[in-house]
Amino acid sequence: MERTGWNRQLRYAPYLYISPYFILFGIFSLYPIIYSFYLSLTEWNGSRDKLFVGLDNYAALLRDHYFWLSLWNSVVIFLMYVPLMLFLGLIFASMLNSNWMVGKGFFRMALFVPNFVSVVAVSFVFVLLFNTQDGLINTFLMNLGWIKNPLPWLDSPWWARFSVASMVLYRWLGYNMLLLMTGLQSIPKDLYEAAYVDGATKVKSFFLITIPLVKKMLLFCTVLSTIGTFSLFTEPYILTKGGPLNSTLTPVLMLYNESFQNFNFGYASSIAVCFFILMMTVSLIQMRLFDEK
Amino acid sequence: MTILTQTKMKPTAKRASRSGEKSLTSGAAFLLMAVVSLVTLFPLFWLFSSSLKDISEIFINPPIWIPTTLHWENFTELFVNRKFGIITWNSLLLSTTMTVTALLFCSLAGFAFAKYKFRGKDLLFIFVLASLMIPHEATMVPLFVIYKNLHLIDNIWGVILPDLANAFGIFFMRQYCSTIPDEMMEAARIDGCSEISMFRKIILPNLKSAFAALGIILFVKQWNNFLWPSVILRSQEHMTLSVALKALEDSNNTPYHLIMAGSVVSVLPLLIIVLIFQRQLISGMIDGAVKG
Repeated sequence: MERTGWNRQLRYAPYLYISPYFILFGIFSLYPIIYSFYLSLTEWNGSRDKLFVGLDNYAALLRDHYFWLSLWNSVVIFLMYVPLMLFLGLIFASMLNSNWMVGKGFFRMALFVPNFVSVVAVSFVFVLLFNTQDGLINTFLMNLGWIKNPLPWLDSPWWARFSVASMVLYRWLGYNMLLLMTGLQSIPKDLYEAAYVDGATKVKSFFLITIPLVKKMLLFCTVLSTIGTFSLFTEPYILTKGGPLNSTLTPVLMLYNESFQNFNFGYASSIAVCFFILMMTVSLIQMRLFDEK
Repeated sequence: MTILTQTKMKPTAKRASRSGEKSLTSGAAFLLMAVVSLVTLFPLFWLFSSSLKDISEIFINPPIWIPTTLHWENFTELFVNRKFGIITWNSLLLSTTMTVTALLFCSLAGFAFAKYKFRGKDLLFIFVLASLMIPHEATMVPLFVIYKNLHLIDNIWGVILPDLANAFGIFFMRQYCSTIPDEMMEAARIDGCSEISMFRKIILPNLKSAFAALGIILFVKQWNNFLWPSVILRSQEHMTLSVALKALEDSNNTPYHLIMAGSVVSVLPLLIIVLIFQRQLISGMIDGAVKG
């Protein structure tokens, strides 16, 4: 092939290769997000003419009790499962990382399975399990005589949050355990041997060696869980429909209700923009953490 | 369930029994892991068990662990009267098409960012990085409006198209492509290969393991995707499994036996695929989380 043709190919090929991404991104992400900013300044139900209202939607949103409640619910759910998830994840990860454990491959898979099976399917199973009148958990607890009356797993605000949190824990424990396992594998083995020689117990070396050395990974898991918790949708949507008394309403669920149930496209867009800014902030923190490595 | 228990019992791990104390702790740890595994697998067991029960047997006390009469008619009902044949096909078609196309686009872009020098490369790559911060949820309303104009509502292409711009996939492929030696490309060029045929003949075969790992992640994600498909897929013959499960609930007297049977239809194929490709899935998930 002729030299100049070759050069031209070299020059244009990379642009050709990246163009599908940029075209699709432009149409399906960039334009929509800009459009979202614009829509958030209007009042619109999707069919009538748009009415320009400036920042009214944002003012209303900041005064909206439900918006703050959705953020508060996310924080509560986060606190209910994340510390426990990281603690258990780390303990299970170190167990599955030790060379004396039998059946590691099976245990790792058993813990990871809930993460990739359909969240809709799993949510419905949890509806069966958590059902107040005749769900399996209450039946079981009452047959054992541990409780007199059925617990309102999905029917009272705090129990409902707890149920959503436990389902999120169920789905994400294995995944976080895997991440923590990769963190553990980077710790040199001789550190433990040295500690053992110095007479440190297993528990002591867990707190003095393991935890400090996977601190960064723990932080990373926390950030991922933050994004995950604010974006919760399917679990509360199917388990509780956001109730009771909006106790499991999340920002994305609120966005969904305002847009595709109530058709307040303008107001919904202002939620979307605030959600975007919130997620962007968390992502930036995540990137900073990652850069330091 | 049998698939799960039969695979992956690794005989390689050795029982260390130097001291009695050690074997006691390891025994306790093993027991703990066994209990935890039982707890995580139980909901799946209950899902499979309930899918073969009559609706009256699901909430019964004492609970029926394994139904004596297997009600296969739950499945026939789904496939004969509730269009689950076409719905399963939709899920398969959607996930496969999306995965194959995204793999192509991501590998092209990842390769370009890894192996070419071109004007604006750094800036464009930062752009890709930044695009990761836009959550899909924040674009739902405007996309819905755009789709109305493009007539993409109730159309599986409406689900596929936005997911094809996959920044995470580009990162992933860039990582893999940067390990391809430059000499290989040089040799191909000297042999008179055009850039595009070099990609096709030399690069693509070298990316097999990357395709397997990223492919399985994308497929799983798309197969289980719920929120956006449920917004735009309206009619039964266009639904995916996740959407159809939710639609079953909306009918009168929630037919939990059918929902469980439908859940099995949506869970089982994926479970088999993932058990075959578990190494790719796990390594890919970790790479994705840590590097993305």
